[in-house]
Formats: sequence, C-alpha cells, structure tokens
Amino acid sequence: MEATMLPEVTAGGVIIKAVLILAVISAIAGFGTYIERKVLAFMQRRLGPQHVGPYGLLQIIADGIKLFTKEDIIPQHANKLVFAVAPAITAATAFIALAAVPVFPDFTIPEWIPVLGGIFVPSIASDVNVGILFVLGMMAAGLYGPLLAGMAQANKWGILGSARTAIQFLSYEVVTGLSILAPIMMVGSLSFVDFNDGYNDNGLWLIVYQPVAFVLFLIAGYAETNRTPFDLLEHEAEIISGYVTEYSGMRWGMFFIGEYANMITIGVIASVVFLGGYNDFWIIPGWLMIIGKIAFMFFLMLWVRASWPHVRPDQLMWLCWKVLMPVAVINVVITGIVMMV
Amino acid sequence: MSELQSAENMVSIKIDGKACQAKEGEYILNAARANDIFIPAICYLTRCSPTLACRICLVEADGKQVYACNAKVKEGMEITVNTPNILEERRAIMEVYDVNHPLQCGVCDQSGECELQNYTLELAVDSQSYAIPDTKRESANWSSVLHYDPGLCIVCERCVTVCKDMIGDAAIKTTKRGGADLDKGYKDTMPKDAYAMWNKLQKSLIAPSNGTDSTNCSDCGECVAVCPVGALVSRDFQYRSNAWDLKRIPATCAHCSSGCQIYYETKPASISDRTEKIYRVTNEFHYVSLCGAGRFGYDFENAVKGKDAEAFAKAVEAFNQAKVINFTSVITNEEALMLQTLKEQKGVKLINREARAFQIFLNFYQAASGNSLYKHDFKDVMASDFVMSVGTSLRNDNPNARYAFNNVQKLNKGAGLYFHPVGDKLVPEFGKSIECFAHQAGHEEAALLLIIDLFADHDKLPSSVKDQLNRESLINMLGGDAEKFGDAFDKMMKKKERFSLIVGEDLYFHEKAENLAKLIAVLEASSDVQVVMIPPKTNSLGVALICDLDDEAEGYTVGYNAPGDFTISALGDGDLDMPAMNQQEGTLTNMNKRVVPTNAAVEYHGYELNDIVREVIGAPKLTIDWTQYLPEAKGFQAVAFDTLPNGYHNDGSENRGYALQITTSEVGEIEVAKFDESISLEGQIAYRCNPQRQFNDFSDKAHQIFEAFALYASPAKAETLGKRVVVEFDNGNLELDVVVDERMEGDIVAIPDFKSAYNIYELFGASRYQKVIIREV
Amino acid sequence: MGLEQFKDRRVGTQNYKKLDLDHAPNCGWCQFKQVVSRTFKPELFVGLWVTFREMINALFRGQMHTTQYPLEKLPISPRYRAIHDMLRLLESGHYRCIGCGLCEKICISNCIAMETRYDENQRKEVSEYTINFGRCIFCGYCAEVCPELAIVHGQRYETASEQRASFSLFEDMLTPIDKLNLQKEYDGFGAVSPNADENIKKTPLAY
Repeated sequence: MEATMLPEVTAGGVIIKAVLILAVISAIAGFGTYIERKVLAFMQRRLGPQHVGPYGLLQIIADGIKLFTKEDIIPQHANKLVFAVAPAITAATAFIALAAVPVFPDFTIPEWIPVLGGIFVPSIASDVNVGILFVLGMMAAGLYGPLLAGMAQANKWGILGSARTAIQFLSYEVVTGLSILAPIMMVGSLSFVDFNDGYNDNGLWLIVYQPVAFVLFLIAGYAETNRTPFDLLEHEAEIISGYVTEYSGMRWGMFFIGEYANMITIGVIASVVFLGGYNDFWIIPGWLMIIGKIAFMFFLMLWVRASWPHVRPDQLMWLCWKVLMPVAVINVVITGIVMMV
Repeated sequence: MSELQSAENMVSIKIDGKACQAKEGEYILNAARANDIFIPAICYLTRCSPTLACRICLVEADGKQVYACNAKVKEGMEITVNTPNILEERRAIMEVYDVNHPLQCGVCDQSGECELQNYTLELAVDSQSYAIPDTKRESANWSSVLHYDPGLCIVCERCVTVCKDMIGDAAIKTTKRGGADLDKGYKDTMPKDAYAMWNKLQKSLIAPSNGTDSTNCSDCGECVAVCPVGALVSRDFQYRSNAWDLKRIPATCAHCSSGCQIYYETKPASISDRTEKIYRVTNEFHYVSLCGAGRFGYDFENAVKGKDAEAFAKAVEAFNQAKVINFTSVITNEEALMLQTLKEQKGVKLINREARAFQIFLNFYQAASGNSLYKHDFKDVMASDFVMSVGTSLRNDNPNARYAFNNVQKLNKGAGLYFHPVGDKLVPEFGKSIECFAHQAGHEEAALLLIIDLFADHDKLPSSVKDQLNRESLINMLGGDAEKFGDAFDKMMKKKERFSLIVGEDLYFHEKAENLAKLIAVLEASSDVQVVMIPPKTNSLGVALICDLDDEAEGYTVGYNAPGDFTISALGDGDLDMPAMNQQEGTLTNMNKRVVPTNAAVEYHGYELNDIVREVIGAPKLTIDWTQYLPEAKGFQAVAFDTLPNGYHNDGSENRGYALQITTSEVGEIEVAKFDESISLEGQIAYRCNPQRQFNDFSDKAHQIFEAFALYASPAKAETLGKRVVVEFDNGNLELDVVVDERMEGDIVAIPDFKSAYNIYELFGASRYQKVIIREV
Repeated sequence: MGLEQFKDRRVGTQNYKKLDLDHAPNCGWCQFKQVVSRTFKPELFVGLWVTFREMINALFRGQMHTTQYPLEKLPISPRYRAIHDMLRLLESGHYRCIGCGLCEKICISNCIAMETRYDENQRKEVSEYTINFGRCIFCGYCAEVCPELAIVHGQRYETASEQRASFSLFEDMLTPIDKLNLQKEYDGFGAVSPNADENIKKTPLAY
C-alpha cells in the first residue's frame, strides 16, 4: 500500500483530525441551516435571511446565540436523565460515524507552527477496514436519539414521534444495507479509501455500474436522515414536532446538528461510494471535486424538500417493503450474477 | 307687572287658520311670534322701527299682500303666511341675497348662526337665476371694536336701525355702493318685491354716518350683535372661534344696575390650556340691548390657581375681629344677605356709600309716598311717549335708561325733557322734540317742581308745593327761555298719552335728598307720570333692600373689593381672592326691580365669601342656598335659585327671576320744604361721572375696555385746562390726564369713580358735584 | 316567482372546474398498471424543475416576491384611512386649511382641536392644529367633510409609536414645502367624485 510512503499516523494527528471534524462539521451543520433557509427561500422566490450580516450570513451566529441563551426546559413528568441524554446520543453518533469517513485529503502541519508543527493529519480519523459498516452501524445507533427523546418527554406527540422513528429507521436500515451491498461486492472492501481508489483507474464512477443501488441508497438515506419527503418523525402538520416537541434551546440544537451532520455523512458516502470520491477529475483537483459533490448532494436534499410533498407513514412502509427492498435484493442478485459471469 | 293683558286691548286674528290673540296696534310679525308662529324676516328688529329692506316677511292678510313687520293687526284679520306667490317672492329674494355673496362660510365668523345661511336652506335655494357684476368692496375697521366687511353685507340695515332707534348714536347709515345697474330684463321676469329689494340693495352699503372712515360712537357693539351675516364683527373675536364651538351660559351682566340678560360664550382657552375662557358675550338683541361694557368687558375673572388656606385662615380671623365691613355694590344678593347676617350676629357695621345714599333716598320716598319701591320700570318708560330725565347723566350713568329715552323718541314719536347741569350734545340728537335744561348744579328741585307744574293735577297738590309753582321763574332758574319753551312744550304735548320720568344718582347724593324724594312722591300722587329710579351701581338696589347700612364707622375694617385693613377681592389684589361676577352663581336685583340669576362662566378654585361666613357664624353649603332666605319683607320671594329662569318669551316678555313685591301703605299729606335757589355751587365744578363703557374696577380690568381714569371735559374746556392737571378737593388732591369728551358741553368737568383705589367717594362726599380747583401740571 | 328561487342560496354562476379524477384501480392488473405509469412518469422531476425554475427567476430575472417591508413599502389603497396629511395648494404652497372647524365639529371621537386667529394679511390663520391620535378612530369623517380637501388620509399606516403625539401637530402632517411637487391628490374618502361636474348647478356670472 502507498500508506507506507506516508508519515506515521500519530495520536496527536488523530486528535487534531477529530477536533477539526467536530469543529468544521458543526460549523457546516450550522451553515447548512443558513443554506437551507436561503435555498428554500429562493425556490419560493423569497429572500430568506437577510438582515444579520451581509446577505444574512451571520444568521447562524445569531441563531447560535439564541439557542445557547434560551432557557433549558425539562418537562415536569419527563424522565430527566433520558431526556437530557437523548440529544447527546444523536449528536454523538452522527459525529462518531464521521470518524471513519474521509473528509479532507492528508496534510502535514507546517513546521513553523509551535507545538503542533510537523504533525501529520490523516484524511480519515480512523481508517477502520470495515469503515462503511461502521458508518452504517453508527447511523443506525443514532436511532436511539429520537427514540429515547420521544419516549422520555411524557408527551403524546413525542411517543408518536418515537414510534415513527422505530419503524422508519429500522425499515430503511434494511434498504440502505442492501443497496450498498452491491457496490461492496464490486469493490470487495469495506474501507472508504478502497472505494475511493477502486474505480479510479478507468475513471468511471460506480454510479455507472450501480445506478439502481445509487437511487435506492439516496432514498434510504433521506429516510435515515429524516428529510423530506420522509420527515415523518417530526411532521408538524400531524404530530407537532414529534420527538422534539418538548425540546428547546441547545438540546434542540443538538438534534439539529446531528441531523445536519448525518446529511453530510450521507452526502460523503454517496460521493465516495458512487460518485468517484476525492479523485482528481480532468483539471479539477480532488479536494474541490469532493467538496463539490458533497455540496451537490446537500443541495439535492434541499431541492427535494422544496419540491416534493410528504408521504404518508403507510406509503412509507409500502415503499420500503414492497418496492425498495425487493428491488435492492434483485439488484444484489443481478450484481452477483454479473460478477460471477 | 305693568303690561296687563286685559281683554280690552286684545284683538282676535287668525294666522294660517290658528286663532290668536294679539295686542291692538301690534305688527302682524310680532303677533305671530307671540303666538309661536314662524314668519321669516331678516331686517326687522323687535323694538325698532320696520326697515322694509328684506321684504321677506311678506304675508297675505285678508287677501292682500302686506309686510308682516309693518302691517298692524285688526280685529278678525285672517293671515296666510305662505301662498304660492309669496313663496316665489321669498325664494327670489333669497336668491338675490345669494348673488355674489362670497362663498367663504368656511372662515366666516357668522357661519352656523348666519341668517343668510338659515333662510337659504329654509327656502331651499338650490340654484341661482340672477347675476350682476360684482363691485369691489374693501373691508375696514370702523373703531377699536368694529370690523366691517362690505363683501358679506346684505344691507338689511339692522345695524343702522338699532344704532338709531335703540342706541341713539346713529353712528352708521346707508351709503352709495356704486354698483352696476340691474339688467332691464329682470323687471319683467322677476317677482316684483324681489326686484324692488334688489334694486335698492344694489345701490347701498353701510358706512359711518360722520363721513369719515371711523364711527364716533359709544362702541356698544350692538350692531355686531344684530348683524345677520358676518359683515359686522368684533375685531377681538374675529376668526377666533366658530359659533358652534362655544358654550352659552345665560347670565346677568354685572357692570351696571341694568342687569341685562347676557350669554357668556365660553370655550377652552387653547389647545394646551383646556380651562374655559369667555370668548364673547351675546344677547337676545330683539329684547335687550347691551352697552360696550356688557358686550366687551367680560374678561374680568379672578384667575386663582387654588385654595390659599393660609390667607383663608387670616381672613376668618379678620372677619372675627372686624368692626366694619366696607364693600361695593358689585356683589350678589346672597352675599349682601351674608354680610347682613354677619351684622346681625356679630354686630359689625356695613359701609357701602352708593347703596347707603340710595337706601336713604328710598326711605325718604317710602315715607312720603307709602310705596315700598318705585312702582314702574324701564319697560314702562319705553312704552311711554313723553320721557323726562332728572339728575342723571343719561349718556354715561346707565345705558338702558339712555336707550329707553332714545327709543321713546324714535319709536313712539315721543318727546323728552332732559334736566342736567352737564351739557350734552348727544341727547338733543335723539329726537326733534327734546328740550334740554343745563341748569345749575343743585337745582334739581327746580326741575322737579317744573315737572310737577307741567304735568300734575294742581288740585291734588299739597299747598307747600303749590306755593312754589311759578313756571316762568322756574324755567328761567333752570336756564331756559320761558316764552320759547311754552310754545315748544305745547307742540311736544300733542298726542301724548303716557309720561315717564327717570331720576338718577344726582338726587341720591344731594343735600336736599329728602325734599327731592318728597317731590317725586308728590308728582306720582298728583299726575300719571311714571317714575323710575336708576340705582347707582350694579346691585345697589339689592344691597339697599337687604343690608342695614351704616353711615360712618370706625375700627378694624375688612374691605370687600374696597379698601380696608384686611381686603378680600375679586380683582386679585386683595389679601384673599374672591370670585368675580362671571365666576359665581347668585342673584342680582336690577333697576327693573327684578331679582335675576347669574351663572358662573369661568372656573374658580379659591374660597368664596360663603366659606368665610360658614367659618365665622355658620352658613349653608353653597352661596345659592341663601337665595331662598332673601328678606320677604322687602319684596323678595322664598324661591330656590335653581328654579329661577333666565330668558325671554317669544313675545319679548321677560322670563327672568322674579319681580320684587311692592307694598303700598297710606300716608298723610306731604310737607315739602321751600326750595332754596342759593344752594347752587359756584366756580369750577367737578362731577363724579364715569366715561361710557366704564362702571367699576371690573369693566376696567377687561382688555377691550380702555377708557382711561382721567378728567373728562368738553373740547372747549379741555383747551383751557392743558394736558395733565391736579384737581384740588377740600379733602385731597388728584392728579389726572385731561381727556376730551366730544359730546360734553359747558364748564363742568367729569371725574370718574370706577377705580375704587382712588377713593373718589371720599373726595366728593355726600354730593356728586364738588367745587374744585384745577391746576395744570 | 316561486319561493324556491328565493331559497336557492347559490348566487352567481358556478364556475367550479372538476379535476379529471380517475377511478381507483379495482383489480391487481389495474393497480400494477398504475404503479408502472406513475413510476415512469417524470412527475417528480417536473416538480424539481418547477422549483429550480423559480429559483432562477427569483435570482436572475428579478422576480423576487419579497417586499423588504420597513425599507420598502407597497402602495396602499387610496381608500385606506391612515394617519392624516395636511395638503398645500400647489400654486402658492400655502396650506389649504382655512380653519373652518368642520373637522373639529364632525369628529366623533372629539380628537381634533384647532386655534385660529385674524392674521396680518386679514386672513383666518390656523395658529394651532392637533389631532389626538390616542383617541382618533380613523373614521375618515374629517377628510370627508373638509371643503378644501386639505385634511386627507395619507400613506402613514404605522400608527404604533412610543408617543403618538408625534403624529399630531399641524407641521408634522403638513406636506413639507420642499416636497410640494411630490404631493399627491387624494382619491379616497371625501375626494371629488368622478361625476361631480354633472351634479353641480351652474351659477350665472355677470363678469
């Protein structure tokens, strides 16, 4: 492996990487809210946030200040411990999942910087060899956040939100796994680095070989991240705010950050697995490509939200078990047959 | 009440089918009004002669079209107010009035109470058929109070009429307009009366009658009151307020003893200051005429911020230790009763010079005649056709006496005799049959003797009088020419039926007051001359009846609007503030012997006399709670203040308060003392007399009344005196400016008494005439 | 006319457009056909296109709908009764108000007060004029009764402020003299009706 050519991955490097991810993704998650509001506004021919900073850019800071300074309310009959822990689970699992995802290329901190100078920072905080499994697993574990939050708050809307969480996340876990199984079969590895490198040679992205898997993964990804048209967990027209009904202030903010981190995770996975990763493309450097791809995936989520209506829970289940899951299985079988042949 | 409605002098008429009773010889218009029937009329004023300017009062009487304002009722007359032809005439007349009338109702002061507006709407004038080129007419200020805008004038001549027939100044007249001639075509197409009226209207305007740009008059403002449109307005009031914004408060004028009914019209002073302020005074001009003081001297209120408890405590103490209370006649009956109660309970002496003199005179009169009061009032004077005046400066003392004297000459084709030492140019102008006697001061007895000689039934006279009646010598003594007067008097007496005599203050302040009172009693007993008296000041009659006044007193003195050791004053300069007359409720007794109510127009926040009296001897809650306790023995009635009306009926009869009861008792023959002609004063004489529009400190306080406290003299006399003089009395000196009074004649100078601070009554003593030495400074 | 016609509450012409609703599939084959047709119809992409198109319109074709309210305001109907304006005469620049006091009189909440006086030019001058906006109910009677079209309802509809007195003085309501050319004639309550000329009777004039 070329890895031997690289400097040694030290604990310091990993910590720096972790801090970097935490900081950058949190910031991007915040910024994502701004982007979302802006894009939705434009698509409805509105202006969106406008007044805090130039073009409303500092809106996230204003929102952040608001979230931090809001009163922290815990309902009287809530299970206080679980109520307090649930948002942390969502945020934590979202960020832990990012540990195995390559976010930036490797780099070494310049020597002239005191203390940290010379430390090598890897592209992945932890290049576990079952990266993709780890990410999917962590995202599945994220189910506990909404589930516990909804059940702990002693609110009927919360209970409904929890129930929906359980059925939606568990159902679509199946589709995610099955849809990404076909690419795994083709690459023969569970490491993201291998995905990135695997199809670089002939320049064709995996989406060309696995369009069905891509579509399935995308649909399942939206469901996993609780995005329109599958945002039934907190569908305000039906169940107020679902599992976040009783949350406010920074606890609510942590759910929010978790959701946006998950959106980025999905965007990263889709980019790396299906869209060629961080390889150079023509004259465009790889790091720009990956940013562009993730950004497009993110934009696609917003675009879809602006365009499409919700589905009903029964439609969601129908879609999962009667359409997506069979199609995914068929896709795996066909992929297997093609590989065998 | 003198105007008894007996069956003899009433006639039965029918107006629009309604059976009515009317006084014989009355105009149809007045008869209709008295019976609550509306006949439109613009130019007619009830107590003045018909002008026939507007012609809108056209009615059909017994099938003939007549003008209701100058056609008299006849027994059995049938009158129709509206016929198709009359309605056509009236509408045409209103259209003509609206020709070229500026459409500036938005800014016009009269808007909202404008008779042109009212009748235009009443007759539903919604289109105009006539036109004529307009004439340029410039507005002008005629005097310190009058503003005339000829553009708005409809030449109804009400101002001219009232000035001549009522006020007597005749200061304005109609003049040439210089307008375009009417289109000849109108003569055939227009209704006849409308054309005639327009023809006259198009030729005339109003102007000062002396040919200059300003009026030479007493500035009474009656012309402003009667103007149906906004042509004649008060300069002070102009553009200040709309009629509908003003709150009308019926009250009684407190300046002189006429006690005219007035309305104080109030409104908040400004946007920032919401306290009520008097903007103007208006009157029922059909039934009462005001003088300049009454109309323009309204802002004499005592602006007090709050109750000054400290001063009040001192005042209570002062009243407790007071030996004397010195006061003027500008108080209400209730206050007079309070003071009298103080006298009865605390033994203080009450000093009021003018009321005391009148009281003494009334006592003499009562003793001689047996009447508790003079029997007649100024309504009777106005109804008479031969009026005489003794002992009053008619022009200055009491405006209503003067208006009555004048009105008799103008409306009743009357005659008049005017006896007064101070020559006057105005009185002879009231009418053609007026003889004036500028007799020597002090010779009032001679005047009364002459009147007795002229009018009394000599058989009824006591011998003490009969002996003194030598017509020729009396006339000569009074400064007349016996031969000439004889002829003139014969002429004057033609067709005369009702005689009246006005007597004034000179007689009360007279050495021989008792004799004068007896002579009046003799005259009344032996002739049908109706005698009225003018109380010297506002409520002198009330004070004279209610209070037991003292002549002289010594000791600690409390002054009420008058000097004293401790003063309570409505003028704002005393030790404790009192409400002025426009700030308090109460009743006044006017010269027509009526107890009339007045109301508070302006807020007052301080203490009242009642508060002091309550502390000292106990009193009811309000000042007006005293009203029902006024002495019934003196003719007052036990009625509550709130039941007293203050207005006029449609027939012009007074519906104000109540009239004093007069009791009559039997008396023996009157013994009159011999007239001593040597009593007259020689040398330079000063006469205690106020200028027109000034009566007391309150009229002086008003911002529109500016007649100075000065020595008034005839033009010829003023020339010899110089600009500023010292007047030396026996008991003091006075330094005064000399002001020319164009209408005075002779050598006697007038010194006003309206400022109580100058103590003029002290200087003059018991007479209105004093010998003085005048030096120029 | 029968009673039924009175009882018929359906007023006006009915113009409802009925959607072309298909019958729900009632057999397995029909359901399958519906799924297939829905799957392959690009309806979802049409939706995406619509929103994307609108974004392009908004960003690059100037079709943004937002009115940035405090900074820019939409014109309001002339019939709206907002804070009063006092207009000037276009010719002389003098204020139109003649001080006739009709607005003061007609005001049913009694919130208009004015002071007038006789000025040096022998005209009626309005020396003070206030409207108590704490009491004004914006009924529009003052504008309707004004004979000079001097007091009108203006465009200032934001009547919340710390002190509503700040609207109330004559000078505050009067068109600034330097903005006289921007003064707009009032079309709302009390304005001259379009057929006013027909309702006026002509007065003969001799000059």
